Amino acid sequence: MKSEFTPTGQPDSDRRDFLKYILGGGLLAWLAAVLYPVMAYLKPPKQGEVEVTSVKAGKASAIEKDSGVIVRFGSKPVILVRNAAGEFRAFSATCTHLDCTVQYRKDMGLIWCACHNGRYDLNGRNVAGPPPRPLDEYRVVVQGDEISISKKV
Amino acid sequence: MKKTARMLAGMMILLFCALGQAFTEDKCLTCHETVGGKAVDLFKQDIHHAKGVSCAGCHGGNAQSDDMEKAMDKKAGFIGVPKGDEISRACAKCHGNAEQMKKLGSALPTTQYANLQMSVHGKLATNGKEHIVQCITCHNAHGVVSVKNPSSPVYPLNIVKTCTKCHADAAFMRTYNPSLPVDQLDKYRTSVHGTRNAKGDFKVAQCASCHGSHNILSAKDTKSSVYPGNIPSTCAHCHSNADYMKEYKIPTDQFDKFSKSVHGVALLQKHDNGAPACNSCHGNHAATPPGIESVSKVCGSCHALNADLFSASPHKKAFDDRKLPECETCHGNHEIIVATNKLLGVTSEAVCSRCHNESLNVKGFAAAKSMRGLIDSLETQEHRAIALIDEAEQKGMEISEAKYKLRDAHQARLESRTMVHSFNEAHFREVAAKGLVVSATVSQEATQALDEYVFRRVGLGLATLVITVLAASLYVFIRRLERRQALGGK
Amino acid sequence: MKTLWSNIYDWVDERVELGGLVEYMGKKYVPVNRHSIWYYFGGVSLFLFIIQVVTGILLLLYYKSGEQLAFESIQFIMSKVQFGWLIRSIHSWTANLFILTAMIHMFSVFFAKAYRKPREVTWFTGMLMFFLLLGFGFSGYLLPWNELAFFATKVGTDIAGAVPVVGKPMMVFLRGGEDVTGATLSRFFGFHVAVLPGIFTVLLSIHLLLVQRQGMSELISHEQIPPAERKTMPFFPNFLLRDLLFWLVVLNLLAILAVFFPWELGKKADAFASAPSGIKPEWYFLFMFQTLKYIPGKILFFDGEVLGILLFGLGGLLWLMVPFWDRKSSRGETNRFINYIGIFVVFYILVLTIVGWIL
Repeated sequence: MKSEFTPTGQPDSDRRDFLKYILGGGLLAWLAAVLYPVMAYLKPPKQGEVEVTSVKAGKASAIEKDSGVIVRFGSKPVILVRNAAGEFRAFSATCTHLDCTVQYRKDMGLIWCACHNGRYDLNGRNVAGPPPRPLDEYRVVVQGDEISISKKV
Repeated sequence: MKKTARMLAGMMILLFCALGQAFTEDKCLTCHETVGGKAVDLFKQDIHHAKGVSCAGCHGGNAQSDDMEKAMDKKAGFIGVPKGDEISRACAKCHGNAEQMKKLGSALPTTQYANLQMSVHGKLATNGKEHIVQCITCHNAHGVVSVKNPSSPVYPLNIVKTCTKCHADAAFMRTYNPSLPVDQLDKYRTSVHGTRNAKGDFKVAQCASCHGSHNILSAKDTKSSVYPGNIPSTCAHCHSNADYMKEYKIPTDQFDKFSKSVHGVALLQKHDNGAPACNSCHGNHAATPPGIESVSKVCGSCHALNADLFSASPHKKAFDDRKLPECETCHGNHEIIVATNKLLGVTSEAVCSRCHNESLNVKGFAAAKSMRGLIDSLETQEHRAIALIDEAEQKGMEISEAKYKLRDAHQARLESRTMVHSFNEAHFREVAAKGLVVSATVSQEATQALDEYVFRRVGLGLATLVITVLAASLYVFIRRLERRQALGGK
Repeated sequence: MKTLWSNIYDWVDERVELGGLVEYMGKKYVPVNRHSIWYYFGGVSLFLFIIQVVTGILLLLYYKSGEQLAFESIQFIMSKVQFGWLIRSIHSWTANLFILTAMIHMFSVFFAKAYRKPREVTWFTGMLMFFLLLGFGFSGYLLPWNELAFFATKVGTDIAGAVPVVGKPMMVFLRGGEDVTGATLSRFFGFHVAVLPGIFTVLLSIHLLLVQRQGMSELISHEQIPPAERKTMPFFPNFLLRDLLFWLVVLNLLAILAVFFPWELGKKADAFASAPSGIKPEWYFLFMFQTLKYIPGKILFFDGEVLGILLFGLGGLLWLMVPFWDRKSSRGETNRFINYIGIFVVFYILVLTIVGWIL
């Protein structure tokens, strides 16, 4: 891109050299300023890949019967429960008492909150302990082997 | 002249008496007395009779007539023996009419029948024809006396018997509401109210004190005096009245204290019916709620996790030995305020310092101090992380992932508060450590984001500098080039 | 340095014979007058295109197409990849600036009537590239799979579907189905990174080749000045160096925009959520969108919206065909009428865009 068409003439050689230095130096600096970010960008970041977040919650065959798993739904946690009959239900995993994250307790057969012993049945209804409201339900759709969770019923 | 006047006066008086007698004489009673019957005997003691109300006052007809046909004439308003709602309507003819009652010289309220009709008892009976309850069900028909009269079925000491006539009859109650218990009386007799009532104390609470008399509503009805949100004020009716309670020598500030407590705020202000009212801890009719040994052990029925931890802790034996109530000792009973970090530790505000200090119960002292230190630092670290995240967010940096991790810090703080009740420093430290680690990670990620923010602006400045230098020198180069072209000609 | 360059030049010259080409290019000149500034906009558009290709390829290395990962991969680029924020924001800002400079370039050509003989094909390729550019903007907008884009695509393809006869099949083709779904995302991704760039490159090559072959067009007024008195400057190196200077400034502007006005990401698209209130398309579609809003529901027995769309289509077609119906300019005569049409169109677009933005 730099023009090779140097014209004839007898300019001041000092000024010409100085300008050529600035121009050349500036060009190199500019190249560095452009190439440095590009090179850094091309270097793979520590966390190799994007993390799967919630909306597609993985494979149905990967979740056992009578178990529950926490899945991230944007900025909120959602608990995906598979009951003994093999059906999927999903609820907000934020306890309605003081916002702790609930878990599935196989021994109790219900959703439990570790903070103050709040309990919810498998319909999300608060059945014991301090929670004042049931858990919001999310919609679960199983297509083939893919589980897809979407906003409230 | 004077003699005539006196004779005239005497005759007038006689005449008036006769007339008066004619007006006030209850001919129905006179006649029926000869026939006899329980109603007549009872009526002679009746307050209505004393006030001059005749049989016709309720049954209609002409009380002045000797003639049976004229006296019991339908056209004169005679209704015979009233059946069903006719009964209550007959009472309400006067008792529901304020003017009438004033004329008869009574200061009694006149809303009873209206209230009854809106109450549970005003609903349709199983025969489909009348209210479940009529006035006479509780007040009797012919022997009605004032409520202050100890022989009245609605005298405080007798009310219990009156109500349990139906409410302790399982077969009867089954036809109306199978889910209603029928053992309230038995339970009541185990309580302070019940035992005192049995001994003759007419000031203590009986059925009507809490449930009302005419306007009894189901406990599920928000207007009912025994609706959870209303129970504290119902109890406070007596229990907050210092004068009324003077002889009992118990405090009268429970309602005030309760209103300020967590439970009170939840129930009375936030209308959370899951929060306990007076009866949740003290029992409905019995002395304590079913299955609870004493009111000092009732907290665990909701706060199960804390109670379990406590029972497994060294405090259980220590408290039992000293006969200290379990939860109440540290948290209070009526004025339970939000438990903050200040409750824990060895400062003057902390409850631990009541038993633990540097020379007494030293192991616990150390544990309390350490746990307080941990929970305080957990709180500060979490706040620091939140502040950093907020700053990074404000600056437009993308840190939603770190923000999501903050939930774990919040969770750890809540879990450790519960874990305090194990009074085991090792367990506590385990839970708190999780929160500290998360907070540190989040703070670090937020700080990185903030550093990146600065880096971008510095980088931009440098890049702009470079570009400016290059552009300026390019411009000069162009000018020089064109000058030379102009000089040299093309 | 000089010898290195001349050595390379000689090496290539021996094999490809650059001499003739160099001499030819040296003869290219640019008219110098008070309207010369407009000559830069073609070059700036080209520069921005190059930026888009470069940043686009870089983004391709980390972007993951598909409903479940598209949004998150952009989040990843913005937060985890070094300088990812810079590349992405530059790409988004450049897209908008590109459309703006292309419009300025198009209008300046229109007012200069540079589309007249012999440059009709240059005009056609340019106009087609412009339509493709709008396609780039529309398809690229969906790729982050965020809430705004999802609904904008829904509305936009709905409008396309309103065209009589061909509308519905066109809409289904665009959407990859009846509704906007992951299938739409896949299609748009394919259009955006393969189909459109391919066609665009072909058109661009023709366009640039023609410009080089035919030289810079001159204003009709300029042509009327005797050749000896016309002020000009050589394309190489004068105009080119000026071009480069301009491009340098634009690059700096992009960096400043990326740092101080980073491109937003918003919320992930949720097909079951309701559309956010006040939704509107990107500014370059706004004037059409706003116009459609003002057209009454029914005009005579025609559906108002369809009529509006057809009118725009007709307008676009007439605009495209201007070299054929502007006979006067082909003959080298000034045509005031074209100026009036051009001014009207510019004003219309400006006013409606502003109105659409504010309301």
